[in-house]
This record gives sequence, structure tokens and C-alpha cells, in this order.
Amino acid sequence: MKAAGMCMKAAMAILFIFMIGALGYFAFSADGPDGLERTMENAGVAEHGSVYDAPLDYGEDYQAYLLTGVIGFVAVIAVSLFIAKMLAKKNETQPDR
Amino acid sequence: MHIPDGLIWPLIMLVGWGIGITAVAIAARKCSRSLTNERIPTMAILAAGIFVAQMLNFPIIGGTTGHLLGATLATLIVGPWAAIIVMSIVIVIQGLLFGDGGILAMGLNLANMAVVAVAVSAVFLRLLKGVGTEAAVIVASWFSVFIAALICAVELAVSDLAAPGAYGIVWSLSMPFMLGLYSVIAIGEAIITASVAKYFMLVHPGLIATAKSAPEASA
Repeated sequence: MKAAGMCMKAAMAILFIFMIGALGYFAFSADGPDGLERTMENAGVAEHGSVYDAPLDYGEDYQAYLLTGVIGFVAVIAVSLFIAKMLAKKNETQPDR
Repeated sequence: MHIPDGLIWPLIMLVGWGIGITAVAIAARKCSRSLTNERIPTMAILAAGIFVAQMLNFPIIGGTTGHLLGATLATLIVGPWAAIIVMSIVIVIQGLLFGDGGILAMGLNLANMAVVAVAVSAVFLRLLKGVGTEAAVIVASWFSVFIAALICAVELAVSDLAAPGAYGIVWSLSMPFMLGLYSVIAIGEAIITASVAKYFMLVHPGLIATAKSAPEASA
């Protein structure tokens, strides 16, 4: 119970930092390419050949960005819990070595 | 550093899938022997934290931006095998849900960011154990990004050599740009990772105490 409370607090703290950090992102970085994108730009290489349309994107404005951040945050927690529980269950069912 | 589809020569992407899947399978097997229920919430929160941290690009030079990779932080807190799982979950969800990084290139992204970056982190954290956690974290996080970028630059260069004009970027451009830009982005990685590690050492020393033994414990 204590661990669950601590995790909830940690999740809230991370999302709060994300809310603040996203303000800085939109103020200073939203339009800038990352290192690989800049290298591609400088080499005159454009993105092509995508074979998959993702259901979501990160959004163009602050609110959309926050929303997709929260959706991704929850999705990652859910998938991580599922996978980690499966792995831990395997560990518990294995005989002691 | 998320490689999109259509950039890398298909054979290299295939090798990336081989490395990525093999490493994730080995990591899952190692975790299935050592992961306890107590560490599950830490893994989940860590993965989600790295996911949102990767959304927060920071400016570096000339309008270029970078973001936290998180491999060293993950290795420090949950150990290298669980860190491979954590990073893989983040990369797969970024690709499948948000189109961040190509689907065909996902194996290569796993190899670069979840395997190489974590392996480099684990090696430096272990090598520098004697000089103190802060120094080890700074060096490990810088090298985790730099070496991953170096590998990515090599993939671009080899793709260009294999199929000039169709795939990759010529080595005389890919090497200096990738290494130059990511050597600066890696400084941001080192600052953020060291700050978060310092915070945990002050307010949640148990987490770092676990971390100190994690690389050996789960190796």
C-alpha cells in the first residue's frame, strides 16, 4: 500500500515536471530538429519510405502535447506493469537456484 | 536519434532486428530469474518517466535540439537487463503509438538506444564504481549517448557505401555532424542524469543503494 502511494506520488511529480518542461519545450525547442534530423537536413536527405501510419502524433500545441504525453505515460506504465509482472511471475514459479 | 524508415540499407536494418530481439530475449530471461514484485512499480514509473523526458527536447546549438535518452538512468536504477526491457518498452510505444522512429527501423533503434546505450552505461558504471556515483554517472551518460550516436553514424555511412544515393548518408557528412551534435547533446544527458541521480541520493537513497548493486546483481 505504501509502495503504491509512493508510485502515485512519483507519477504525479513526473507529470508535473513534464507540464513545466513542456512550456520550455514550446518556448525554445519545438521547431528545432534533433541531431539525426539536423544531419539528414544538412545531407539533403528527406524522410521517405514510411510503411506505417501511427494512430497518434505528439501534437502541435501545448495542450495536445500534454494530452499525448499523458496518454503515452499511461500506456508505458500499463505495458511495463504487464511485462514486468509476467517476468516476475516466471521468477516466482521457477525453482530456487 | 530515432531512425525513420527508408533511411538505412535493409540488410543493416535486418541486423538491427537480430541484435534487438536477441538482446531483449536475453534480458527478459535474465529478468525472469531475478525480478521481484517489489521492483515492478519502479520499472514502470522509470519507463514512463523516460518516455515523457524524451518528449522534452532542449536547445543545443544552431537551432538543433536534443533530449534525454535515459539509458544510464535506467541502468543505474534497475540494472542493465531490466534497463534493456525499460528502454525497449519506451521505443516500441513511441514507434507504434506515435510514429516516433520507423517500424522497419525499430530493430535498429532498439539495438542503438536500448542495447548499445545500456551496455555502454553498464560498462562505465562498473569501471568507475571506485570514483564515486556522481562522476561515474556523468561519464557513463555522456558515453552512452556518444557511442550510440557513433554507431548510428556508422550505420548511415555503411548504408551509403552499400547503396549510394538510395540509403544512408555519406561518411564525410554523417560522422562529423552526428558526432559533433551528439557530443553536445550528451552533455545535456550527463547534466540531467547526474541531477536526477543526485536527487535520488538525497531524498530516496534506497533507490540508489539498490542501483549500486543492480549492475552486478543482474549481470
